[in-house]
Amino acid sequence: MPDVYNWHLGRTMTYPYPEAHPTKQFAAVFNINRCIGCQTCTGSCKATWTFSRGQEYMWWNNVETKPYGSYPQHWDVKVLQLLDEAHQAAGVQPQWDHSQASEQAPYGVYNGLTLTEASGPNEQVLGYLPAESEWRSPNFYEDTSTGYKGGAYGLSPDGASLPEHQAWFFYLMRICNHCTYPACLAACPRKAIYKREEDGIVLIDQERCRGYRKCVQACPYKKSMYRGTTQVSEKCVGCYPRVEGADPLSDGVPMETRCMAVCPGKIRLNGLVDVAEDGSWVENPKHPLYFLVRMEQIALPLYPQFGTEPNIYYIPPRWAPRPYLRQMFGPGVDHAIERYTAPSRELLAVLQLFRTTQKMIFRYEIEEGPLVREAEINGKPWQMYNDTVIGFDAKDREIVRLSVVEPLHERPMERLNSI
Amino acid sequence: MFTRSRLIIVAVCLLALGAVLANAPLVSSQGLTITAAAIEGDLPIDAPDSALWQQATAVEVPMSAQMIARPIMPETNAKAITVRALHNNAEIAFLLEWQDATRNDTTLRVDDFRDSVAIQFPVGEGQPFYCMGQQGGDVNIWHWKADWQASLIAQQNLQTTYPNLAVDQYPFTEPAENIYLAAYADRNYLTAEAAGNYLALPTHGSPVEDLVAGGFGTLTTQPLAGQNVRGFGEWRDGVWRVIFSRELTSTEAEDVMLAPEKLYAVAFAAWDGANQERNGSKSTSQWVSFQLASAPGTGAAAPAGAAAQAPLTASVAATQPTGFNPLFWGFIALLILIPLGVGVVMLYFYLGNKA
Ligand code: SF4
Ligand code: SF4
Ligand code: SF4
Repeated sequence: MPDVYNWHLGRTMTYPYPEAHPTKQFAAVFNINRCIGCQTCTGSCKATWTFSRGQEYMWWNNVETKPYGSYPQHWDVKVLQLLDEAHQAAGVQPQWDHSQASEQAPYGVYNGLTLTEASGPNEQVLGYLPAESEWRSPNFYEDTSTGYKGGAYGLSPDGASLPEHQAWFFYLMRICNHCTYPACLAACPRKAIYKREEDGIVLIDQERCRGYRKCVQACPYKKSMYRGTTQVSEKCVGCYPRVEGADPLSDGVPMETRCMAVCPGKIRLNGLVDVAEDGSWVENPKHPLYFLVRMEQIALPLYPQFGTEPNIYYIPPRWAPRPYLRQMFGPGVDHAIERYTAPSRELLAVLQLFRTTQKMIFRYEIEEGPLVREAEINGKPWQMYNDTVIGFDAKDREIVRLSVVEPLHERPMERLNSI
Repeated sequence: MFTRSRLIIVAVCLLALGAVLANAPLVSSQGLTITAAAIEGDLPIDAPDSALWQQATAVEVPMSAQMIARPIMPETNAKAITVRALHNNAEIAFLLEWQDATRNDTTLRVDDFRDSVAIQFPVGEGQPFYCMGQQGGDVNIWHWKADWQASLIAQQNLQTTYPNLAVDQYPFTEPAENIYLAAYADRNYLTAEAAGNYLALPTHGSPVEDLVAGGFGTLTTQPLAGQNVRGFGEWRDGVWRVIFSRELTSTEAEDVMLAPEKLYAVAFAAWDGANQERNGSKSTSQWVSFQLASAPGTGAAAPAGAAAQAPLTASVAATQPTGFNPLFWGFIALLILIPLGVGVVMLYFYLGNKA
């Protein structure tokens, strides 16, 4: 099997196909801290793509309450367990060596096995096929927190405080990660799955697919789904007509997907990043995704150890236990939370861009504003400036302009109760 | 007393024994010949219990797990298929029988896999690779599917699978009394069907899909107009009985052409849905010789004389008998032969020194 370079892992890994990269990659940053669990994203995808016969159980976008919720049930625990068993069988103690972090390996080097490396001689990818019952009740355990141990009746007399809450949950919003090294694609014996050259979106060829469900078995995130009424599998299409700029509203430039553009919690920022021939992101400090993922490093891949190099990046929740978060997002968690808790002047401005325009932002500029607040965070002084951030579309036209301090409008007396 | 010459004789014998051992499973399905008995009148194309089948000699074809291309499932369930064939100079029919403890004839739920069985013929002269053919050596595959068969008897739909299903509406369907059966006004919402995927059609005229392949991953459904294989299958008491039938000749380049007194190759595959067998996770046979008897009533063809045509390539795996894993046995043979050789050489020099 060829070796491919996975920058999430800081090393090469085995994959059934040789390395080849799209020119641009569909990517997004999801800010878990801000999600309100409203499922508007989930509903928007359903209303756009999966309202037909045979798709009833499909939620290409889903939001689950961690640590207990999962769709399909226990997908993460099951895949982690499989990987754990493979490590034990191979006598490998999987570890991240953060000291080896570099430009090519921002999170350091992972020495464990990935799912393509742990698959054994008979399969391309280590995985499992969820039972039909596991796809049911997609929001089971909604808002269920871990129990508080200590106070009477499970109540804390002092409330909760950072850095870690004892009773905690958080929402995990998930779509297909349009992985750089898709496990679904690796496992398909028909080569019916392909990654688009122009945007890295991963699609299942509906004509070639024969419903073998090897992709369903292989995708660790369980984002490839079988449709019984057509006997083939389907998956999140990355709303590719919008990404192509084919939507009449888009004026010919790439638009954010449906699930991103509807988010009332303003937690999502979707775009296309330039990819170099070696798979790395072309340096572009004024691209909001490049800035958040590569420069500030506050957004992290979900389960990077699976080895698919997923392209949805998460700002981890500040209040959840760090070991749990490190298992989920890798060793970059502490740094990310630290940066997010006391954001730099530029980061605070860029964070305003989330979900403010349907068009994808390809570049931002900042106009500096006055100092508006000074505070101490984690024992260090911190300043807030009312800067203005301006977003530009693919044709470099201004599409959005926002200030860090939200403009306040006071309603005149005579209209006090009107809406 | 050992002398050098005696030792050489012993060594040669041992080596010969090793070679025989390495090639041990000489009993192969390649020695088998299926003969389609010639009868007059209609073939029993949907009657596995018909007495006419008694006129055909039953041949038990050994099956084993496909072990060459990933994904591999080393333990598949079908161990043998009993094959009978009849023809009437215009049509041919095969009756395949194999044991399967469970009937799996729906694929509606996400973890439902079908029972199915396939017959494979080389399209041209010679024998391409027995598993899905090879580049330049196409194979014609007839694939019978238990769920398609079941749907022909009683249409399967979501409501039969999920009796308590409740959906308010399916957009883009025609108004209908039962929305679960409503036809789609816009096919695009049956994505695979709109993309021209034959599997995705709501109904299939035959439970058999007629395909062509030229190597792993190249399996292709023949065009709708070229779907000319009929089928009938029935599960009873742990046994599937499946009949395939087609006209002997076909105008399509992707179809096998059959004529009496010629020797053909044929191979079989079976999938047990209960074991989640699908695609390469299957039981397969090697190529088996196959011929059509020439005169009605004889039930046997003129002696074929030569064996089946030579393989297209010298691919080792392609010519190995059923259940024979060349890598494994080659490895075992090496394990035996290398120490043996070393030992013999050492002994040779040892004795030579002594002498
Ligand atoms: S998330 Fe799953 S379905 Fe999506 S590209 Fe990655 S492996 Fe494939
Ligand atoms: S990107 Fe589009 S298709 Fe994918 S989950 Fe979001 S809305 Fe659905
Ligand atoms: S729409 Fe946004 S805020 Fe609502 S659940 Fe989805 S990601 Fe969270």
